[in-house]
Amino acid sequence: MNGGNKILLVEDEETLAVGLEFNLTEEGYLVVWAKDGKVALDLFYSQKFDLIILDIMLPYINGFEVAKKVREKSPQMPILILSARSGVEDRVKGLELGADDYLAKPFHLQELLLRINGMLKRKMWYKNAASVQPVYSFGDNKINFENLECHTKDSQIRLTQQEAMVLKYLIENKGKIVSRKELIEKVWHMNPEIETRTVDNFIVRLRKYFEPDPSSPVFFKSIRGAGYMFNAE
Amino acid sequence: MKRNRSFFYHITVFVVSQLAWLALLGIWIYWYVSNYIIFKTVGDKLSPGIIYNGTKVLPFVGGIVLLVSIAFGMSLIFRHLNVQLRLNNLYDNFISNITHELKSPLSSIQLYLETLNSRPVPAEKQKEFISMMMKDAGRLKNLINSILEISALEQKKIVHDFQIYPVNSLLKDLVDGVLEQFNLPKNSIIIEGKVDCECMVDKNAFKIVLNNLTDNAIKYSIKPIRISIKLKTQFTKVVIDFSDNGIGIPSSELKNIFSKFYRIYGANIPNVKGTGLGLYSVKEIIRSHGGKISASSEGIDMGSTFRIELPVYNEFVRKFKKSFMVNIKKKELIEKTEDNI
Repeated sequence: MNGGNKILLVEDEETLAVGLEFNLTEEGYLVVWAKDGKVALDLFYSQKFDLIILDIMLPYINGFEVAKKVREKSPQMPILILSARSGVEDRVKGLELGADDYLAKPFHLQELLLRINGMLKRKMWYKNAASVQPVYSFGDNKINFENLECHTKDSQIRLTQQEAMVLKYLIENKGKIVSRKELIEKVWHMNPEIETRTVDNFIVRLRKYFEPDPSSPVFFKSIRGAGYMFNAE
Repeated sequence: MKRNRSFFYHITVFVVSQLAWLALLGIWIYWYVSNYIIFKTVGDKLSPGIIYNGTKVLPFVGGIVLLVSIAFGMSLIFRHLNVQLRLNNLYDNFISNITHELKSPLSSIQLYLETLNSRPVPAEKQKEFISMMMKDAGRLKNLINSILEISALEQKKIVHDFQIYPVNSLLKDLVDGVLEQFNLPKNSIIIEGKVDCECMVDKNAFKIVLNNLTDNAIKYSIKPIRISIKLKTQFTKVVIDFSDNGIGIPSSELKNIFSKFYRIYGANIPNVKGTGLGLYSVKEIIRSHGGKISASSEGIDMGSTFRIELPVYNEFVRKFKKSFMVNIKKKELIEKTEDNI
C-alpha cells in the first residue's frame, strides 16, 4: 500500500509503540522500533529509513539531540516529532533543529497517518524533482538540491530540507505567482492550521541567503495580495 | 538557560545592592564625621539658645544600625527569593513531568480506541490492545492516587492504620506482594538477616514505600534487577537496608532526591518517566512512622542503598503515643460516623 517505506519509530512508551507499530504495519509500512535515543541513532547509522517518528523525552539522548544528529548526516530525512510536550518553545526548537513536522500527544490516528503520508509524498516529489535537475544556478548562486549545499556570492551554506523544498517549488514555477496557500498545500502538503506567517519566514530566509540586497529583492518578489514569484532572469 | 539567567540576574542584583548599601554606609560615616563640627557651629549660630545635652554618638550609631538592619532585611528577602525561585523551578519540572505522565497513557488509550474503531483487528490483537489500555488506565490511576496521597500526607489527613507486626514476617509478606505486582522472578529480591522485634506499621503505607523503592530500582537499572534487603537492630531501632544494582546516584544528588518534585536528569539516565513525588512520599510515610530514611551510593553503576530506620514497638509507643492516640480516636470517630450513616 505504501510501497514498503521503512519507518524508524523512536518511542520509549511501550504501550504506545505497540499500537503505532500495528497501525503503521497495517498501512503497509515497515516499522523498526527504538526504545531510546541511543538505540535510535545506532539504528539510523546502520540501516536505511524513509522517515523517522521521534519522541522528545527519551532516555539517554533526547529527541532534539537525535534530530540534530540525524540532520547532520541526512539533510533530507523526513522527521516527524510526536511528543507530549506541546508548548510553542518545544515546537519551535524541534522545527529549528530540522524536524519537518510536529504533532502533540494525544493525537488522532488518522491525522498522524495523513501527515506521514504527506511527508513521504513530499520526499518522493523532492527526490524526483531534484534528480531531474540536481544543480540549479541563478545570479551568483548555485544550489545542489541533492546535498542541499549552496554557493552564494560570498559564502557557502547548507539549506534545510524545508527551505530546499520551498525553493524547488518556486523554481519549478518560475515566473508564475505562487500563493501562500499553494505553498502550504504543495510544499507542506497539509497542515491547514499552519500559519501563513511560516511561509513568509521561509521567504525571508531565502532572500537573506540569495538576494544581493534582501530589502529590495530581485529573485523572490512579493506580489501584493497574491503571494510570491521567483524570477531568475 | 532562562532559569540560569534569572538566577544570575538575582545574584547580581543582590551583590550590587549590597555594595550600594556598603557604599552608602561608608558615605554616611564619612559625612557624619566630617560635618559634625560644621553642624555644631552652624547650630550654635542659628539657635544659640538651644543647648543640646544628649549623647552625640546616638544619631551616628542609630544611622549605622538602620543601614545594617536594611542590609540584613535585604539579605532575608534575597534568601526567600532564592527559595521561591527554586520552588518555581521544581514546580515547572513537576508540571512538565506530570504533563508527560498524563498525556502518554492517554495517547495510548486514544490510539487503541481509534484503532479498534477504524479498522478490523484480529481477536488476539484485540485482547492485547485491551490489556495495554488497562495497563495505561492503571498507570493513570496510580498517578492520580500518588498526587492525592501526597496532598493528604502533607495536610496530615491520612489516618494510618497502625498495627503491631513482627518485622521478619512483615517484610516477607510485603516482598511477596512486590514480586507479584512487578512480575519479578522470586530470587530478584533477597531478604538477608533476621531481627527479633516488632514494629508498629501501617502495612498499606509501607507497601507504597517498598513499591516506590522497587519501581525506582527497575526504572534506574539497565541490568535485570537484584535487590537485597538487609535487616538488623540498632539500639531501639530496626534498620532496613534496601540495596539495588541500578545505575547509582551521584553523591551531589543524594541530599536532593527526597525533595518534592526533584528529578535527576542526565545522559546516563535510562528512564525519563516519573513525577518527582515517589521518594518524597516515601520520606513522608517513614517520617509518619517515627522513622527516617537516607540514601547512599558507591557511585555510577554501583547501585544505591536506601536505609530505613524505624523505632521498635516500645520506643515507637513512647515517641508517638500522643499522636497515635489522636489517630485512633479519629479512626473510631470515622467508623462511628460511617456506622451512623
